[in-house]
Amino acid sequence: MNINEARDLLWLAGGFYGLALLFGFFKPFKTEFHPFRETPLISIICGFIFHTRALYLRGLDVHGCPLGNTLERVQFILWSLIITYLILRILWRLNLLGTFCAGISMCAGWLTLSIASADNHYWLEDNYSRLFSDPWIELHASIAIFSYGIFSLLAVVCFMYIIQRQTLLSRKSNQLGSFLPPINDLEHASYRLLSVGVFFLTLSMIVGGMHWAKQPEFVTSSKLVITIALWLGYILLFLLRMGNKLFGSRFAKSCIALFFIAILSLSVVNSKTTDSKEENTPPNLTPTQSE
Amino acid sequence: MISPSTNTLHLLGSSHHTADLKAREKISLPPGHIDDFYSGLTKLPGLKECLLLNTCNRTEVYGASDSGNFSPQLLSQYFCDFRKLEPDFMKHHTYECSGEKVVQHLFEVTSGIDSQMVGETEILGQVKKAYDDACKRKVSGKILNRLFQKGFQAAKWARTNTGISKGQVNLGNVLCELARRIFGDMKKCRFLVIGAGDIAESAMEAFKSRGSQPITVTGRTFDWCPLSRRKPDELAEKFGGFALAYPEFQDSLHLFDVILTSTSSGKALIDYQQVQKCMKLRPSRPLFLIDSSVPRNIEENVSKLDNVFLYNMDDVSTIANENLKSRMDEVDRCRSALAKRAVQLWDQMRAYRSPPASINQSTAPLS
Repeated sequence: MNINEARDLLWLAGGFYGLALLFGFFKPFKTEFHPFRETPLISIICGFIFHTRALYLRGLDVHGCPLGNTLERVQFILWSLIITYLILRILWRLNLLGTFCAGISMCAGWLTLSIASADNHYWLEDNYSRLFSDPWIELHASIAIFSYGIFSLLAVVCFMYIIQRQTLLSRKSNQLGSFLPPINDLEHASYRLLSVGVFFLTLSMIVGGMHWAKQPEFVTSSKLVITIALWLGYILLFLLRMGNKLFGSRFAKSCIALFFIAILSLSVVNSKTTDSKEENTPPNLTPTQSE
Repeated sequence: MISPSTNTLHLLGSSHHTADLKAREKISLPPGHIDDFYSGLTKLPGLKECLLLNTCNRTEVYGASDSGNFSPQLLSQYFCDFRKLEPDFMKHHTYECSGEKVVQHLFEVTSGIDSQMVGETEILGQVKKAYDDACKRKVSGKILNRLFQKGFQAAKWARTNTGISKGQVNLGNVLCELARRIFGDMKKCRFLVIGAGDIAESAMEAFKSRGSQPITVTGRTFDWCPLSRRKPDELAEKFGGFALAYPEFQDSLHLFDVILTSTSSGKALIDYQQVQKCMKLRPSRPLFLIDSSVPRNIEENVSKLDNVFLYNMDDVSTIANENLKSRMDEVDRCRSALAKRAVQLWDQMRAYRSPPASINQSTAPLS
């Protein structure tokens, strides 16, 4: 274990998230775990510190916000998920949400770490100078990925909504249901998270759009179509929810489905442009690192 | 000083375990007789400290002596004389114990595992009240102070660390717990009661105690004329709520978050179309419907609507029974854990020759 090696730190962060998941799920059912009451939160904070340090070290390696390969993008989304949870937790004391977030962070984090091809060392190539040619593109990419972090938290909250709804509809005494937040609060929280996520995604679209208007040749049409489609998808979801046309379980299911589509489209929207002008650029120097 | 060779704690008691309601009524002390009871009790030879716990389900006398002169039979004899009961009757309906078993028994009482409704919390308040009363009368000293303070700690430990208080077992409380899982803060909940059955009253009491908004009551027998008041408006008045004219309630459904029906009309008072119309006016806010009537007053297919949660009495009873079962499963675990704590405390008390003054002060009640 080398604390100056990004991958080692990411493994360690995943371990702490796993610990938070373990204690978080154990705590509500085994209440005699009194001395470990704060263990899940402490584990998440420790994991987050190592996670931040790992991304910082990777950022130094790639000379920019580390969003150059699948591992980096997934890790940045997970980092955004955890930081959003930690900010929300100040206002909204909810341990089980942290447990769900920690679980996702551990699973997705370790999965990407275990796939060697997800972490190609593009910055070691000879002609590599920096990840983003323009700081505005870097800003666009980082805001977009941050909005994905918020959407992942939205998906977690919607998942909790569906579980709570199912436990209520089952009309049985259910311990998990008692520990989950009220269904009305989850509905409000998901609406607010969607609003914040849409705001950040729109902001990233504006920043990216300004660059695209100046240099449209840097963006492939497939990337453009998928990015706009996703943005429109979230805008539509937001408008439908705002107009009370889509709510409850259908809204929750739509949010989860759209998030999965967004994650699956990551590889497409980050694909290298086919433009001949890019032949001499580093492999991942993609000007519109949108998401 | 507490000598290891002497039993210093004594208990004489009667509860639902040993006496039925009729017997308990005979044994229980009327509030007006408690002063006399204590004054006679403190005169028993060898008894240095005493405490009376007198609730609807149990009557118990705790005593502490610091010498071998005190005979526990004196307690039973005194009680028989005071309540004018036959010794045989007392023998059949009471229990006696001394030493470590008293500690264990008190721990079980305060934690609620000895209660009729396992895990109920009311008993802890009653024990605290009895202890305060004994302290005010200056009949509780260093031994009982320590015992009862440890009893309160044991109760807190048991409720925090075991599942004996998990889940609600009272129907009104089960409904409140369900409403909490749907709406969260009960202060924002608007509650409509249609009818005035016992379930309605129990639910209103539970909702009111959790700070819900003023409850609205309506019913078929509702009458505006003050000279011919019927139950729904009496119920509204009792709980500080409002009465709603029966013909108007169907147009006002969207204004309420929780609607409970408790009538014997024998027909559906709320149908699918009405709830559908109501949900159009409050689409994103859930609606909690409780049908406590037999035959049912709410059409079952309303639960197919998004954000509508319909429960009937069978559902609520099932939840209450499941909760009670899970509490019962925890009783043995809790009892053995409390027994360990009781042994520990008893060993400390036996080894405890001259307690520092600070301990006595800290264990004495503020009153």
